[in-house]
Amino acid sequence: MAASMGFAASSRLILKSMRPLMQLSKPTPRWCAVRNITRSNFLSGVEGTKLLMPALSPTMEEGTILKWLKQEGDAISAGDALCEIETDKATLTLDADDDAVLAKILVPEGTSGVKISSLIALLVPEGEDYKAVEIPADAAAPSPPAADVVSDGQIQGVSDTTQFSSMRHAVGKDSGVLSPAVRQLLDTHHLSATDISPSGPHGRLLKGDVLQFIQEGGAKKHPTVEAAVPEPTPLPVTQTQATAPPPAFVPPTTDIQQQATYTDIELTNIRKVIAKRLTESKRTTPHSYASTDCNMDRIMNIRKDLKKEGIKVSVNDFIIKAAAVALKELPDVNASWSGKEAQRISDIDISVAVATDKGLITPIVKNAIGKGLVEISENVKDLAARAREGKLQLHEFQGGSFSISNLGMFGISEFSAVINPPQACILAIGSARMTLSQSLKPQAMTTVMMSSDSRVVDDALAATFLQSFKKNMENPLRLGIL
Amino acid sequence: MFSLVCRRFGAISRNSHRVLPAAARRQYTNEQTEASFSVLDYKLHKLESGPSANVTVTRDDALKLYRQMQVIRRMETAAGNLYKSKAVRGFCHLYSGQEACAVGIKAAMREGDALITAYRAHGWAHLMGLSVAEILTELTGRRTGCAKGKGGSMHMYTKNFYGGNGIVGAQVPLGAGVATALKYSGSDNLCVALYGDGAANQGQIFEAYNIAKLWELPCVFVCENNKYGMGTAVERASASTDYYARGDYVPGIWVDGMDVLAVREATQFAADYCRSGKGPLVMEVETYRYSGHSMSDPGTSYRTRDEVQEIRQQRDPITNFRDRMTTSGLATAQELKEVDLGVRAEIDEGVERAKNEAELPASEAFTDIYSNTAPFMVRGCDPFTTHPSHTH
Repeated sequence: MAASMGFAASSRLILKSMRPLMQLSKPTPRWCAVRNITRSNFLSGVEGTKLLMPALSPTMEEGTILKWLKQEGDAISAGDALCEIETDKATLTLDADDDAVLAKILVPEGTSGVKISSLIALLVPEGEDYKAVEIPADAAAPSPPAADVVSDGQIQGVSDTTQFSSMRHAVGKDSGVLSPAVRQLLDTHHLSATDISPSGPHGRLLKGDVLQFIQEGGAKKHPTVEAAVPEPTPLPVTQTQATAPPPAFVPPTTDIQQQATYTDIELTNIRKVIAKRLTESKRTTPHSYASTDCNMDRIMNIRKDLKKEGIKVSVNDFIIKAAAVALKELPDVNASWSGKEAQRISDIDISVAVATDKGLITPIVKNAIGKGLVEISENVKDLAARAREGKLQLHEFQGGSFSISNLGMFGISEFSAVINPPQACILAIGSARMTLSQSLKPQAMTTVMMSSDSRVVDDALAATFLQSFKKNMENPLRLGIL
Repeated sequence: MFSLVCRRFGAISRNSHRVLPAAARRQYTNEQTEASFSVLDYKLHKLESGPSANVTVTRDDALKLYRQMQVIRRMETAAGNLYKSKAVRGFCHLYSGQEACAVGIKAAMREGDALITAYRAHGWAHLMGLSVAEILTELTGRRTGCAKGKGGSMHMYTKNFYGGNGIVGAQVPLGAGVATALKYSGSDNLCVALYGDGAANQGQIFEAYNIAKLWELPCVFVCENNKYGMGTAVERASASTDYYARGDYVPGIWVDGMDVLAVREATQFAADYCRSGKGPLVMEVETYRYSGHSMSDPGTSYRTRDEVQEIRQQRDPITNFRDRMTTSGLATAQELKEVDLGVRAEIDEGVERAKNEAELPASEAFTDIYSNTAPFMVRGCDPFTTHPSHTH
């Protein structure tokens, strides 16, 4: 206990122990008498008991001393509240353990960022001269936290604002503190607090100092940081602090991270389900692709003729019927994977992809083989309209044995679609484009690509199906007869 | 002539210390070897007579009691400070304010008597034989801890001390079991099973009362009523706050738990009662804890700071006992100050060791699983890694 007493202290000890003999002791102060503790000369010594910053919650790393509830020289009883400490969670009070006198407050109230187990005050036992307490040498000023500036050139994330503001320079007692306005200015202009001379009390860097520095041409403001999109926090470009030369010239934007502005779009339930199912389908189903070109001339002509009679059918309806007929001819394609083997489906229900603003829905044209073009057309129109309104019933879009997706109206020449499980195939129709036939006659050709589940429909079967489909498309007579 | 008169008076006082009040004695002698005090009256339940309200203590005993209480107080303060500097993690329940209960009960226990308590057990662990250093190093998880650093605050055991139990009220039936073993073995030792006011409403405690009374087990059930079960005041928790009467057919005594001599006297009475084969006894020691329930509880959200300070100033067991000792002449204040310094040194040494000693190596995580087995391979964190169960 008396280990660290110097010569002056030990001579004081001798004097103090001689006091009762010399009858020079002061009368016991009243507050001592209350506790009935006699002045013990045995304990004289000016070494103070250290009061360390406590971790008042298990996750606390540092805290703020809000207010000292006792002043230097106050007597403290065990259990008295000494100071209010603000932690990461709440404001709690620090209690004294023993009866003592608060000798010296080393960290004034209002100081934030006081690390736990750092020295905040000194106590002396009751009856001692608190003014004579020895202040440990290393407790002169709160040590500034290490400025961990990243110098490896990696791009920092936006959450590193605190990293920059922890850069402080210790000039005076209060010099470590940077106000938010100052920090903002330093960040946006990529300045270091050490470059600017402070003029505030206790060496504090003021906003005026930074503004003056900038006005005098200290640093060039970065042009793109204050881009059109307003940012809630200034971008801390700490690595340029370390790697860039003193701010006479700010290098162009290449190595500076652009704030990636993005908005999160909340997925609707439909899209979430679509996402989940398609991911599962693409991941688990072995897709294989086969495509062929179909000559659309005859279908176009029939369509024109029917229109003259007042019957409105679209090319899509022909496609649906053609696919249905092909499925009737090759029932093995109208199948699904049961998990172990291919299972033929007896009904030919074709799902037609409809784009709605909520996502892609595939309402089903049930028993497409048994319906004529007009009926198919009406079905599709009705289903599509209700799909866009979101009024489809469950059985109207769950099920089906074959899907058709037509992007011809968008001008897509060719595309491949993802199979809707548990179906085996999906036919992706492109747009009709004018080409020249072998005999240099203009013809309208459409590329259709079928994605098939290789476990159910292998390449040969897919090819055979597409052959049949092409024949149906190019010879619409087959649609009715077969 | 005058000196003869003084000596005569001194002789009278030495011989009739039981009759003369304490204040009168002080004038005549410097150091007493024995002193008597009166304590708060006990409340009895189904007992015709109880312990005496006039207690005597010898100087040596008084110094020992004082030192023990001071050790516990300082040790708990040190544990709290270690926790606040994050050297101790997890749970830490402090006994500050309740020292008189533990010290008083232990003083009336005999060698061979067993004890079991809940998790506010650091003070008890020390009194039952563990050193301060062993306890503090256990809290900080070092290899010299009483459980090699593997257990922590709620895992301290030693001979005849059954812990250290985390589940509220679970230790009371265990205590009845220990008492059964003691009775079965034919010894005249007893078991003291402690629980708190919060646990007093647990069902298994009443089961323990039943079997103890039925088989006349030598078990003293002690309820340490510190007025708050975690944060709930006893009035809000219990329909009947007469915890000494809760045993119903088991006789009970209420004791002022802030007075170490009263507790000692009552425990002596209870121990004699049990040892004479009359069966169990319930003892309620009314006490107070200064700190919160544990280190995560500041202790001020369900009671006022003034209340705590008032108890500290008026009913603190150590201060009151010290005053008694000095006013009755059993010891001087200077002597007690020296005891304090000795205690402080002992605790400081414990704290130093707790901070600086080494922890066990990681290979020790797989040892001490079973007692007294041949070495075998312990499965690690996955089925493919194994570790030896004995490192030496």
